[in-house]
Amino acid sequence: MDVVLLFLMVIGLMLVGVPIAVSLGFSSIVFLLVLSETSLSSVAQSFYQAMAGHYTLLAIPFFILASSFMSTGGVAARIIRFSIAIVGHLPGGLAIAGVFACMLFAALSGSSPATVVAIGSIVIAGMRQVGYSKDFAAGVIANAGTLGILIPPSIVMVVYASATDVSVGRMFLAGVIPGLIAGGMLMATIFGIAVVRKLPKGEWRGWGEVMESGGDAIWGLGLIVIILGGIYGGVFTPTEAAAVAAVYAFLIANFVYRDMGPLRMADGNHKALWEKPIALVTAFFHRDTKHTLLEAGKLTVTLMFIIANALILKHVLTDEQIPQQIAAAMLDAGFGPIMFLVIVNIILLIGGQFMEPSGLLVIVAPLVFPIALQLGIDPIHLGIIMVVNMEIGMITPPVGLNLFVTSGVAGMPMMRVVRAALPFLAVLFVFLIMVTYIPAISTWVPDRVMGPQVRCEGASLPSEPLERAFCEARGFGGAAATE
Amino acid sequence: MSDHTVSDSMLGRFVNELEESFIALILGLMTIITFINVVLRYGFNTGLIWGLEMTSILFAWLVLFGVSYAVKTTANLGVDAVTNLVPPAGRRIMALFAGVVCIAYACLLMKGAWDYWANFANLPQTTGRWFPTGFEDMTRTSYRSWYEMIDTPMPSWLRWIEPLINQGDAYEKIPRFIPYVILPFGAALLLFRFIQATVRIWKGSSDSLIVSHEAEDAVEDVAHMNKD
Amino acid sequence: SCEEGEMVIKFSHVTNTDRHPKGIAATLLAERVNEEMNGTACMEVYPNSTLYNDDQVLEAMLQGDVQMAAPSLSKFEQFTKVFRIYDLPFMFKNIDAVDAFQASDAGQAMKESMTRRGLLGLEFWHNGMKQLSANKPLVMPSDAAGLKFRVQPSEVLKAQFEALDASPQPMAFSEVYGALQTGVVDGQENTWSNIYGQKFFEVQDGTTETNHGVLDYLVVTNVDWWEGLDPAVREQLGNILHEVSMERNAAVGEVDAEARQAVLDAGGEIRELTAEQRQAWLDTMKPVWEQFTDDVGQENIDAAQSINNSM
Ligand code: NA
Ligand code: NA
Repeated sequence: MDVVLLFLMVIGLMLVGVPIAVSLGFSSIVFLLVLSETSLSSVAQSFYQAMAGHYTLLAIPFFILASSFMSTGGVAARIIRFSIAIVGHLPGGLAIAGVFACMLFAALSGSSPATVVAIGSIVIAGMRQVGYSKDFAAGVIANAGTLGILIPPSIVMVVYASATDVSVGRMFLAGVIPGLIAGGMLMATIFGIAVVRKLPKGEWRGWGEVMESGGDAIWGLGLIVIILGGIYGGVFTPTEAAAVAAVYAFLIANFVYRDMGPLRMADGNHKALWEKPIALVTAFFHRDTKHTLLEAGKLTVTLMFIIANALILKHVLTDEQIPQQIAAAMLDAGFGPIMFLVIVNIILLIGGQFMEPSGLLVIVAPLVFPIALQLGIDPIHLGIIMVVNMEIGMITPPVGLNLFVTSGVAGMPMMRVVRAALPFLAVLFVFLIMVTYIPAISTWVPDRVMGPQVRCEGASLPSEPLERAFCEARGFGGAAATE
Repeated sequence: MSDHTVSDSMLGRFVNELEESFIALILGLMTIITFINVVLRYGFNTGLIWGLEMTSILFAWLVLFGVSYAVKTTANLGVDAVTNLVPPAGRRIMALFAGVVCIAYACLLMKGAWDYWANFANLPQTTGRWFPTGFEDMTRTSYRSWYEMIDTPMPSWLRWIEPLINQGDAYEKIPRFIPYVILPFGAALLLFRFIQATVRIWKGSSDSLIVSHEAEDAVEDVAHMNKD
Repeated sequence: SCEEGEMVIKFSHVTNTDRHPKGIAATLLAERVNEEMNGTACMEVYPNSTLYNDDQVLEAMLQGDVQMAAPSLSKFEQFTKVFRIYDLPFMFKNIDAVDAFQASDAGQAMKESMTRRGLLGLEFWHNGMKQLSANKPLVMPSDAAGLKFRVQPSEVLKAQFEALDASPQPMAFSEVYGALQTGVVDGQENTWSNIYGQKFFEVQDGTTETNHGVLDYLVVTNVDWWEGLDPAVREQLGNILHEVSMERNAAVGEVDAEARQAVLDAGGEIRELTAEQRQAWLDTMKPVWEQFTDDVGQENIDAAQSINNSM
């Protein structure tokens, strides 16, 4: 009962325009003071520890920063040129290239709106010039942009990993195949529509153009190689990978593409480094660098403000043993994995109407995670399901980050974007069902590369009670450790 | 770009520049330290033992310092679906109510932040559960200035604080009251900015505490490309 | 859960409740307190870091937000450097020597060494002796040179690996398996129950039975809270805790041996050292003692050594 009140308070405050972070934090603090012994001092401690004590979340500012350095117009334009060179000649070529470019950009960026802004602003204008309707263009990009959080790296995956203690590296690997499938399904749909409606197609410019544009884009795309290769090659942890990615993106933007920094000249041309070697020093202090750091810092702050307050709410829920109560109720009701996943889908689709994905995940993941394990649902699989739900939440009204961003970049009213996105939204729904009920789509790659998240084989079951329950639910039948 | 809030006064511009530089600097330092540690470990088989702890501290500083700046620049995310449906008068009342909630939140956080930090700096915590009702009497265990961090060494240029606060004992690692000071400082700034924001709404020079969506600035930058 | 009028004792720790030596002991303690002190006191155990991690819990204890915890001994370095003695390599011959040292006057005095900082040590809990593992065979100390070892944050442990010409890398416990698997670090040191429980042996070439260090815990409480208890309550609680500690510490050798056997059964490689080989490790690591003699006190080192010699 208390919990219902708590959630009503959170939602009520949000709806009157209290910032999401404060709605979460204020409601939680009031409930902590009323219901438990907790002191305000320990609330402050949790707040500080949300940053200083969560090693995984440290990846967030770095991925945001890498993405900011990569979001200069030049990187997106190079990726789009490369995409057109590859698929532009197919029926609906430019639209398919738009999806392909979103997939590539998603591999550089941890967030979906960033993907829409970078790719959408150029591709939507380009599609209209060659004769596509504005609605079609906007619908394609709004949907394809959601791949930003499914194709690694992904901020939402970092948050899920932190909230549930699964490995970030596994989550990133798990996103690869679903990302390719979702992108493939969107492209196939466009192809089908294009054939029926005789949409324009570009011309094949030959392998020379593919090689040339690919060579130009390769520096940007090198980022994904660094991130995945570095993590799985044992060079660095996922958090460090994010920092390395940020430094790499900085170097590429300043010294290779020269879209920003000391080598970029006012007329849009650039100098070579040997003409101005001092740039190696001044780039660090250049106003473009400071501006990018500030923008990334600001985004980090607003996101972490929500996450830190969501962690206080999570503390209330743990304190009141809510996850256990919900788990017991669901298990008592005899829900199996399938029914459970349907309920998770519904909770997330509704929650996604009000909340920003990271904050929602911090609250929902700890609620459903223990139940999922007890039902034998793989934690990595659950993570991907949640991410795909978040994607759909981003393009459904009333609150859909991608809808808003698309309406901005396309200069269209929000409701028109909603209608435009609808046919492709149906594709993502089919995709959600596939991902939900075919675990292998998510788990095959990470299991191959890193072994499963929970290791049931071997002489003994895991020591962690939840993991043990998971193995038992999967039909597996030792000691334990912490320092 | 709208990351520069219009400030008429010299002081306003100076403070703004200071806040923005500080945020950029912290994020830059976090990135560089982490990067250097990777290079040292992978390339030279060594590392800055304090690198991780320092980066974690800077992360906390970034957010706790930056959150007041986010309030000042109205960058905090919120839901405007309902507020957009009500007439302006109702919207103003809702915004004022939201401002009061934010101020109350910041007050609670401020009390908690002070209470948490105070003993690490040999200062008294406040009494009272919800509201500060006074200062506690210090007991022998209320002096915790000796409490050090785990990995970050005490820099020699800070040694002058030892006679002042640690009875002359040398610190091996930096004492905790130094990184933790961002809590009361950040919470006080947050409270100040929420009060300012609420006053702006009261005076009618602003109508909300939230930006509806994170990418608004970026969208403004590119929207002209697709305007009819 | 607790009834009206009962004094609530929160015990926060970071392990599971039923398999780890510390978790088992905490669970047993709570069971006995809740049965024998029913109506007077009630113990709530918060396992798995659900309330605090090992670093935060001591802050929270000074603040009065939690009453009992059992962090590993190296976590007390910030309170008094005497505890560094437990991290010094080859200071104790085996877990019995550790036990005897803790029971001696020197060991008992250490429990009260933090009262001026607000903490009181109540009882020591064992985990076991530490072994060394890596992604290549470790037989002689020179085998460890150039490798990266994960360490708990501790000056002594860093110095220990530096003495081996190896590189110490602090890292969260939860990250270690992944880091060993991908090769971010090459090796680590831990007790058999941790090496088995975390399955480190799966991602290492083998484990060398060095018994070079000890991983132990100290049950601590807030000194003001403890002294403010009703004397009868304090005595009863102290007695129960003491009995539980004796019982679990006596069983720890068995738990350790089981874990070691389980590593073997699961296909893990274990390398035993000859007396000469072990002496070589000792000779390489022992110079570390000199760096920390001032911190731990020569008299404590002497006490530990005389116990070793008597065994
Ligand atoms: Na991505
Ligand atoms: Na939505």
